[in-house]
Amino acid sequence: MFEPFTDVIPSFFGWLNQGPLTLTIFLHTVIILPMIWIYFQEKKRIENEG
Amino acid sequence: MANRSVWSDNRFWQRSAAWVTGFAAILLIWLTFDTSMQISMGSDEDLKNGVTKRVPGPTVINYKITYEMDAKRGHEVPVIGEKELFFGRDDWSEEEAGALLHLGKLGSQAKNCMNCHTLLGNGAYYAPDLTKAWLDPAWGPEGSLQAMTGKPTKEEAMAEFLQHPSQYPTHERMMPNLGITAEEAKGLVAFLKHMSSIDTNGFPRNFGKIKGAVHGK
Amino acid sequence: MASSTLNESKQLATWYFTFAFILFGAQLLFGLVAAIQYVMPGFLFEILDFSVARTLHINALVVWMVFAMFGSVYWLLPDETGIDTVGIKIGKLLYWIFVAAIAVVVLVYIFVQVGPADETTIWFIMEGREYIEAPRWADFGIVVVALGFVANLFLTGIKGKQTGIVTVLMADMIAFAGLYLAGMFFTDNISVDQYWWWWVIHLWVEATWEVFVGAIAAYGLITMIGAHRKVVEMWLWIEVAMLFGSGILGMGHHYFWIGTPEYWWEIGALFSALEPLPLVAMFVHVLYDWGKTQGAEMNAEHTDEDSVRSVIQNKPAFTWFVFNAFGNFLGAGVWGFFHTLPQVNLYTHGTQFTSAHGHLAFFGAYATILIGMMYIAVQGKNNIKVMNNTKSSIWAVSLIVGGVMGMTVALTIAGYVQVLVSRAQMGATWAGYFDGQAGMWFAQGMDWRLIMGVVTFLGFLLLAKDLLTTGKNPVHER
Repeated sequence: MFEPFTDVIPSFFGWLNQGPLTLTIFLHTVIILPMIWIYFQEKKRIENEG
Repeated sequence: MANRSVWSDNRFWQRSAAWVTGFAAILLIWLTFDTSMQISMGSDEDLKNGVTKRVPGPTVINYKITYEMDAKRGHEVPVIGEKELFFGRDDWSEEEAGALLHLGKLGSQAKNCMNCHTLLGNGAYYAPDLTKAWLDPAWGPEGSLQAMTGKPTKEEAMAEFLQHPSQYPTHERMMPNLGITAEEAKGLVAFLKHMSSIDTNGFPRNFGKIKGAVHGK
Repeated sequence: MASSTLNESKQLATWYFTFAFILFGAQLLFGLVAAIQYVMPGFLFEILDFSVARTLHINALVVWMVFAMFGSVYWLLPDETGIDTVGIKIGKLLYWIFVAAIAVVVLVYIFVQVGPADETTIWFIMEGREYIEAPRWADFGIVVVALGFVANLFLTGIKGKQTGIVTVLMADMIAFAGLYLAGMFFTDNISVDQYWWWWVIHLWVEATWEVFVGAIAAYGLITMIGAHRKVVEMWLWIEVAMLFGSGILGMGHHYFWIGTPEYWWEIGALFSALEPLPLVAMFVHVLYDWGKTQGAEMNAEHTDEDSVRSVIQNKPAFTWFVFNAFGNFLGAGVWGFFHTLPQVNLYTHGTQFTSAHGHLAFFGAYATILIGMMYIAVQGKNNIKVMNNTKSSIWAVSLIVGGVMGMTVALTIAGYVQVLVSRAQMGATWAGYFDGQAGMWFAQGMDWRLIMGVVTFLGFLLLAKDLLTTGKNPVHER
């Protein structure tokens, strides 16, 4: 699962890039997750309006 | 109105769009800072001390460059070896080599190389890729292209070809004469040698390694 | 003349469309020259070389699309905001500056072609960077014109009614104009050069232009089939989220091999793999809305069967919009996905595969919808209530779509040969390159590309005839 770092120069993104798709799954998650919060906020607003 | 769904609500999608766009843009800017540091050009010091840079300094023209399989990274990488003469010298100073590279890079744009060739794989597909052209065996000591120009070294052969391309038809599809001067040709060859030393994560794969695969050549 | 009744913003839009169409013709002509050179390498050798023909081919492409995009915005702005476009006089002045600058740039490309390796070439002849070759003086001109256009849009949007479509266009167009600045400097480091070069090219065609298409499609659906604005704008926001969410970091797929770190493999692979999703969404959206409004019309009470009518107010434009939905998904989505993963791209990068994708994607995603907007302008200019197809409009769309599809298939086959022979088998050297080019299937692919290019050009001629004459044709309902 965790493979040795192979990039030339160490960096934060290189460090996250540790194995199959770890970096890209992390980035997708941090982009999508806050939408859950937006969802519940809007749900509350719609209920209040109703 | 308990049954109105958030999923069909314009405001939800509008806010989501704003969030996703803004955050992706911030990530891209962060990544750009990180990458910019990694692809900044190295110095003469780095080369002397054996510090590996993704894009070495211009004085890399003083060294022999090869393209070797790296077991750890699983692909080929350019390897900078011992000193090597380039147009008869292996002591190009940082200023001299930098000026030569500057001339060559300007030349590559002024002569519109990219609208026939590809550079780092980007450009047009009418002529061979130039990413590792410096390492092409055809330009080496036993190569047909060097023999064709009758010049004793790779760099002189390439410079001669660039100045009089239509005198050396290598194929039915020829390179046109672009009015490249002797000095510009020298700069362009330096630019090509420098480009071959850039760590392109193994592109192109197997460059110059395969002999005799087609028609028993 | 009916055109005298056009409001000034719409009049300016027709100017933009006219010049865009002329450049579209130039794009096809120089494309034909380049295609002939693949088949007959001696054609115009050292007179108008491949590099010159291709520069003109791709620059005319980019510029005609920018012109048609500006035209589309000037066309829809009065409809959306409900007011006259602010500062239209300056907009008209900038149009003439833009046209004059482009004429000079093109003449220099054709007659000067290349220059000495110094800064004067970069400033006055060409910058030699694919797609944005325009010399530096023209760069500054383009920035001034683009700022004027953005100012027109913003002042009108702020003063008038700010619909969702206008809001999206405002945000999108300022990014579109601003990104051009990333391509205006010179550096000796080719990795840094290409890094920023992609900021312009990728963030234009795979982010801001796509969002622009989403907004135009939304406008088209409302005006052509009377789709419900609230539904259309909800789709638009979903598309913006998905297009920018995948497209901005999808840029990583250009950073696999230019000297940039390995972590771009993962970022580029997965984000760009998601880029087709919004294109599927757009496709579903267009057809769904069409079916829905048509269905409502069918279910409405009719005195007899014959009175059930099509809800489409502009049939030729709608045809092009539907081909946009197909073409965007197929050209940008499917053909793009083919070679977006680094494992595949290692071998396909810089081959005719890219060229196949480029042809179908630019055509499917942008040319189609912009031609559709031109038909909408013809309808508005001639006060037509329901615009019908003529024989030429049907033949034009069939020949052009068939021609471009044919070119794409031919280039894809040629690309396969190149990938297998030049790359996988021969390791990408000079000799390997020409072995691939000599392949029989490659050569035949190039022959078919030329034939299909001629078909496309015939379609273009018919399209020109149709756009010029259909306005007066009696088949339309006035």
